[in-house]
Amino acid sequence: MLKGAEMFLQCLRAEGVHLVFGYPGGAIMPLYDALEGSGIRHILTRHEQGAVFAAEGHARATGDVGVAIATSGPGATNLVTGIADAKMDSVPLVCITGQVRSPLIGTDAFQETDVFGLTLSLTKWSRLVRSIDEIPRVIAEGFYWAREGRPGPVVIDIPTDFLKAKVEFSGPVKFSPKPRPSDEKADAAFPDDVIALLSNAQKPVALIGAGAKLSGAVPELRRLLDDLNIPAFATVHGLGALSPEAPYYLGMVGMHGTRAANMALHENDLLLVFGARLDDRVTGDPTRFAPNSKIVHFEIDPAQLDRVRQCELPVIGDLAETIPEFHRKIKNANLPDWSDWRALACGEDRAELDPRGLAQPTIRFLDELFGRLPNHSVILADVGQHQMWAAQRYRSDSPRGFITSGGLGSMGFALPAAVGVQLAKPEATVLCVSGDGGFQMNIQELATVRRLNLPIKMVIVDNKYLGMVRQWQQLFYQRNYAETDLSDNPDFVEIAKAYRINAERIHEEVMQEFPVAEDTADTLERFLRSSEPELLVFDCAPEANVYPMVPAGAALSEMLFEEE
Amino acid sequence: MNAFHIHYRNTQGTLMRILTAVSRRGIDIPYLYAAATDGAFRADLLLEVNAKQIGQLRRDWHAIVDVIDVRVGAPTPQMIENLASSFAAPHPPASTAASGRSASAAMA
Repeated sequence: MLKGAEMFLQCLRAEGVHLVFGYPGGAIMPLYDALEGSGIRHILTRHEQGAVFAAEGHARATGDVGVAIATSGPGATNLVTGIADAKMDSVPLVCITGQVRSPLIGTDAFQETDVFGLTLSLTKWSRLVRSIDEIPRVIAEGFYWAREGRPGPVVIDIPTDFLKAKVEFSGPVKFSPKPRPSDEKADAAFPDDVIALLSNAQKPVALIGAGAKLSGAVPELRRLLDDLNIPAFATVHGLGALSPEAPYYLGMVGMHGTRAANMALHENDLLLVFGARLDDRVTGDPTRFAPNSKIVHFEIDPAQLDRVRQCELPVIGDLAETIPEFHRKIKNANLPDWSDWRALACGEDRAELDPRGLAQPTIRFLDELFGRLPNHSVILADVGQHQMWAAQRYRSDSPRGFITSGGLGSMGFALPAAVGVQLAKPEATVLCVSGDGGFQMNIQELATVRRLNLPIKMVIVDNKYLGMVRQWQQLFYQRNYAETDLSDNPDFVEIAKAYRINAERIHEEVMQEFPVAEDTADTLERFLRSSEPELLVFDCAPEANVYPMVPAGAALSEMLFEEE
Repeated sequence: MNAFHIHYRNTQGTLMRILTAVSRRGIDIPYLYAAATDGAFRADLLLEVNAKQIGQLRRDWHAIVDVIDVRVGAPTPQMIENLASSFAAPHPPASTAASGRSASAAMA
């Protein structure tokens, strides 16, 4: 006979779980009581949102399912932002929430919340466990759906009495659903259809999204594009899929994408999309998006097709299968010479950033940091101006080397996510770049960093504003800086020291020297090479803006390069 | 109006997932009928949607794990009849202006 909690943990082990993030409380206590000796390491964060973001960070860095645990009521509701975040960014995540005793469900008992109902539209799959016997199948099914196809979040809500009860346990089970006859998949002739479209195209381009990386298709995608040699660019989640050194690579596309990428996306006549959703931050005004383009959409999730515009040719399926299939066919295809188009799209007069932008101190600072990072480092960016600057300056070809909250844009994501990344990759340098606003949203996780002695390198780009909102207020709301002033920020160096974390501050003036002065270089080297957690506060001007910028509702070709 | 026929396994929350795919778009559901049929369940919905929304809804419904199949078609006579009779049903009380008696005051 085993307790439900012991059975639960054995089933988690059977799914390959060895690390979970969580925060205990009343209804989930029996699970915590059974943790010791289970073979599962629990990381105590200081808030449930920290736990779910840490689990996400672990999942994003490894591709494995991240697991977060919380108690009923407020514990469960504190997970919700992370669940929504995982849904938007296709992160495999299983959230386990304790629930009040089963006889009390529906009575508004203490710390009772309908977490199942609350998360229905945010989850890929969820269950409120209804008997102790259901536990093995629910866990097997939950992990299956978190991983399968387009990955996503799952919630398993378990009443506390089932965790305490005892039952005969015959072992974990496996789940494999029957295929649905109605499932869409790519037509067998799709490679010929794509080749026919390519043969008639004069300005083909490729857009790379997260799906290319999640599917594990990166090596084959690189070989394909090396052969096609057409201008290519990436969404923020596609960064790292292609080598920045590839002569056809134009950088990031979208609202703060490079000029070259945005112009090529606007002007092309054939758009090959590899695992991207084409959300509004990528397309700009959807009615004026790629006006002359036919779209071929390689995508595992049919629900993402035709959201912006009807695509010419959907190629539904796992990119790890469809890309090689397509690549095999193009080797014998007689494709047009696109060298004139390539010369235009990749030409110097479409330089990726305005030279004045490159001299901007925060960009110089990030360049100095990124240039000193060892191979296989992981950069996390929180949400805001620093996020876009970091994405613009990311120069690695590591597919899982740039992690950020892209779809939901959750401020406070980076610090706890860095905890999950550093635990997943103990040998890697993990650089966590935050703004002064976002850092304070999960600042309590400094305690987790300290307790685990994780050598995370934390940067706060401190402009004493909610910078991105302020930028919009400056450009589109006549400088009415309503409630974005953070000039009364606390002293982050002193706060870090209170957590017994080394901290230092540098001012943006040190970035006006080129190359940087020796003592500045020493500071950066010491910061990155330390075996301890470190915080570096970068004091910068309050009114620096991220450019290029495609204003909301504008076409991609209508980029701003300065305040008009 | 378009009719949608969704076959699904009646697992926890599946019908609610089907309905939230509609409600998240701010689309009213003037007709809904759900019942067991042929070893599974079927939900029939009548919705006022455009061509783009039809495509999006079909695919969003199909992305639900326990949805088996989605069909789109013209409204059946039964749907039309039910829809017509619903217009004769009493409407909820209308809101009153701030200067007038509020709904809650009236209820009190």
